[in-house]
Amino acid sequence: MNAITVRNLTKDYKNHRAVNDISFDVQEGEFFAFLGENGAGKSTTINILCTILEKTGGEAKIFGNELGKDDDEIRQSIGIVFQNSVLDGKLTVKENLFTRGAYYGLGRKEIMKRLDSFMDRFELGEIWGRNYEKLSGGQRRRVDIIRALLNKPRLLFLDEPTTGLDPMSRKIVWDYIDYLRKEKHMTIFLTTHYMEEVRDADHVIILDKGRIIANDTPAGLKNRYTGAKLLWYAGRNPDNDRLIRDFVYDYEADHYIVMLPKKEDFALTEFLYRNNDRIRDYEVIKGSMDDVFLNLTGRKLGE
Amino acid sequence: MIFLKDKQAIVFSLLTSIIVLALYLLFLKGTFVDAVNSGIGGFPELAGRISNDDIDMFANFILLTGIIGSALITVPYNCLTTVVKDRENRIDCDILATPVKRWQIILGYYVSAAFSAILLTGTILTVGLIVLELQGNMYMSAGNVLSLYGVVALGAISATAVFMIIVLFFKSTGASGAFFGILSAASGFVIGAYIPISQFSDSVQTVCNLFPASHITIMLRNSALNGLLDHIADSVGKDAGEPFVDVLKDLFTFKARLFGHELGMTQMPVYVLAVLAVSLVIQTALYSKTYKK
Repeated sequence: MNAITVRNLTKDYKNHRAVNDISFDVQEGEFFAFLGENGAGKSTTINILCTILEKTGGEAKIFGNELGKDDDEIRQSIGIVFQNSVLDGKLTVKENLFTRGAYYGLGRKEIMKRLDSFMDRFELGEIWGRNYEKLSGGQRRRVDIIRALLNKPRLLFLDEPTTGLDPMSRKIVWDYIDYLRKEKHMTIFLTTHYMEEVRDADHVIILDKGRIIANDTPAGLKNRYTGAKLLWYAGRNPDNDRLIRDFVYDYEADHYIVMLPKKEDFALTEFLYRNNDRIRDYEVIKGSMDDVFLNLTGRKLGE
Repeated sequence: MIFLKDKQAIVFSLLTSIIVLALYLLFLKGTFVDAVNSGIGGFPELAGRISNDDIDMFANFILLTGIIGSALITVPYNCLTTVVKDRENRIDCDILATPVKRWQIILGYYVSAAFSAILLTGTILTVGLIVLELQGNMYMSAGNVLSLYGVVALGAISATAVFMIIVLFFKSTGASGAFFGILSAASGFVIGAYIPISQFSDSVQTVCNLFPASHITIMLRNSALNGLLDHIADSVGKDAGEPFVDVLKDLFTFKARLFGHELGMTQMPVYVLAVLAVSLVIQTALYSKTYKK
């Protein structure tokens, strides 16, 4: 079953089209990622799917519920971690979670029952009575995630959840997201501009200026939009240069970097086989998601 | 109710009231007492017959109603800055993504701000009444006290309704704070805390009395001082006392003048309720549009 079905979704703001005729599907239980620069339309799409913004055109369904018609059902089935912290700074963690739980019609007993599993995993106990505004960035994010899970959502939206976090907090957040995916089989919809965060995604969409410019698995994107690099550890000399003259190459410190065109991995295999007497110390590095983005847009992410 | 968690915001919301109190202690009390004495000057037979305690109590009540009147403008507005903060910090998006209905969100903001305002201004009224009771006889019946609380509640509810519309136009707390600066500076004058509105021209009185808070302050003055004024009239004899009390009522504004017409204690609540009803209709229309972006 599709967790999300989007067809020809469009969002206009006065003279600006933020989301431009996008269509995609997200399978239930999938880890789905939206990759793109700031202003690409990632958050706008999430806000439409979460019923916060109204779409200008197109259709969307969440677990079969139609956006704009079955919004109450959609809201019950989703959780969202926003880019910025959206809890009340003057309230304690406990007060914030009780207030948010009440929005879903949950009583205190039920909220406490649901929070039980977070107490240890997210070290909630130690920050329970502290004002939200006095928490560190990492602690806040943990509470944000717990808040998003209060209503036991089937689909969790994560809008750049680790932006601005220290490495330790990022790791804690990602460990928990992995747990939700693998143990709870929760559908995860992530937007990010960190390439490494989409490495484990089942599906990645790259958005640029409101349009989908690529839609595939991370491996598929790399295969389609990047080539491999051969690092050949050897001294630089005219003989070696001659051997790789048919490729684009460079030399760094103690090794050659040989660029292999995309979709032509076989050329590498053939080349290595033919020269196995001379090329003995080497490694092959596949293209990264950074390379995918660079090849697709002509820009580096974050430029 | 988050507003009540922010002690700094509470203090700032009461800034105008604090200024009114400070000015009273510095010179306003003298001005009020002088005005009463000049009123007595028009009735030579009353010279020396009205006790200083009654004149002091009268001036004190003018102060208390001024403090509460200005608080009924600044406190509801400050309570509603939560709406602006929530929009600026996108907290409203977090609420919009929950099953809570849009009208419940609007009503929630309104009720919590009105309730916070009632709580704060009611507390000021209670403290004020206790302080004045310790200073002498207030000549107030239980009915008068109850009506004071009723007027405070009406003032908080109506001001909150009007400000719900205004805060919608602010996208940042900076802009809303700047408006609050203007509001707190103007509120003391609009409700006649410094100078009674009746001292102004008809057109200025009309402008001041367009705001429900001015009517509320006048209603507070009537509820708080009618007992004392009756006592003053009785103590000097009705024949001279009643005309003198009428002079005092003119001098310190016990009726609202709007477009040349006088509104008494029966018309003023109607006017405030009408403003409240219109504001509720406008805010419902505006907010339902706002939350459909």
